[in-house]
Amino acid sequence: MTLSFKVKAISRSRFLKNFFLSIIFLLSFFLILFSKTDYFVINKFKSISNNYLYPITSFLVAPLTIASNLQTQFYEFRNLKTENYILKEEIMRLKKWQTLAIHNNLENKVLKKLLNSTDSNLTLVKTASLVSRNDFMFSKMININAGLKDGVINNMAVLNYRGLVGRTVDTNIDNSRVLLLTDPNSSIAVKTISNTNYSLLHGAEDGIRLVSAFNKDEKLPKLGDLVVTSGSAQVFPSNILVGKIVEVTKEKFYVLPFVDFKNIDYVQVVENK
Amino acid sequence: MFRKLLSSQTIIYHLLLFFSFSLSVNYFVDLEFVNFLSYVFFHLTLIYLVFYFFQFSLIFVSFLYGIFFDIFLIDFISPHLVSFLVFVFLFYYTKKYLLNFSSIRISYIIIGVTLIMFISEALIANIFFNYPINYQNLGWLFLTLIIIFFPSLFIFSKIDKL
Repeated sequence: MTLSFKVKAISRSRFLKNFFLSIIFLLSFFLILFSKTDYFVINKFKSISNNYLYPITSFLVAPLTIASNLQTQFYEFRNLKTENYILKEEIMRLKKWQTLAIHNNLENKVLKKLLNSTDSNLTLVKTASLVSRNDFMFSKMININAGLKDGVINNMAVLNYRGLVGRTVDTNIDNSRVLLLTDPNSSIAVKTISNTNYSLLHGAEDGIRLVSAFNKDEKLPKLGDLVVTSGSAQVFPSNILVGKIVEVTKEKFYVLPFVDFKNIDYVQVVENK
Repeated sequence: MFRKLLSSQTIIYHLLLFFSFSLSVNYFVDLEFVNFLSYVFFHLTLIYLVFYFFQFSLIFVSFLYGIFFDIFLIDFISPHLVSFLVFVFLFYYTKKYLLNFSSIRISYIIIGVTLIMFISEALIANIFFNYPINYQNLGWLFLTLIIIFFPSLFIFSKIDKL
């Protein structure tokens, strides 16, 4: 009697274990499948983990965040003298540019009046600050404190004072994730500032530069050309500064972005007017 | 009750797992070595926990950590989930033979498994999600693993004696 009970208990626990293993296997399979197809459940899962788990992890590592910030401040303080010298030189250079810019601005105003054209093609949705970074090892993403409640939706352009930063993905109520330009899966339609070359760029293997994936008419731009968004993919508004061409090979070219991705504090989420 | 809970080694290992997970998913630009250290330490702790404190619930724990690592670091679910689950399943079906090995041989196995996990994660991310294999990062991971392996084992042995 006791032996048969034991055998039954063991077989029941084995059945339960096998059942549990099958469930885990099936769940993993569906999660992987839906992850590729961008299914609603996966997005919900991502937003839950971003909303609830992320604050806990950030709270846990808060002392280290403070230490990291202190180290940055220490380096900045150490380089204060050199930086001051560089800034003085830059002020002198900018003063010359300012005179030229004022002159051009006046000329532009007159020309715009003549052509009856609008001022800008951008509308500011929200200025947000960086909450945390996820650009370690694989993807290049950051989290910002603007979400659906601020009018931010997926695939909006994100800029800072230097140029294009990336686009919003995984938008939640309070925050959003921004896919940086340097991510290998981000694709940006660009053109040279002279309107001669149109290409598609994505993040290069080094995680710092951008590399061309497609060049219209197989034409390659010149070294040192400036690259701006072309606006042709309808994701990014046109004429936003992206970077400068730093290397041209036989089939592709490399662009160094103007944005310093290691020093992002505030960004602006914008959309086309 | 709390004393009993805190003296339990498994709880300490799970706390270590969660702390190293938290450090791994929050990138510190100026303290990048901390991210590498915690990422390697997480893998080591998980493997050690599976080897010496295997419970059936660890499969579910690996499943959850795999998903969260993938969501935070890659934004697509696969590389960590697959490598964690494959390792736990393999251990589950071969534990009869593995646990007969000496502790030194198990140490070598832990190093080998960790290296294979890093490579498989990078390979899966490359094949399915187009993330290029960053050999420099892999090199840093291997170096960190070699540096922290014995100190980690020392910490684990201290925890085991609690």
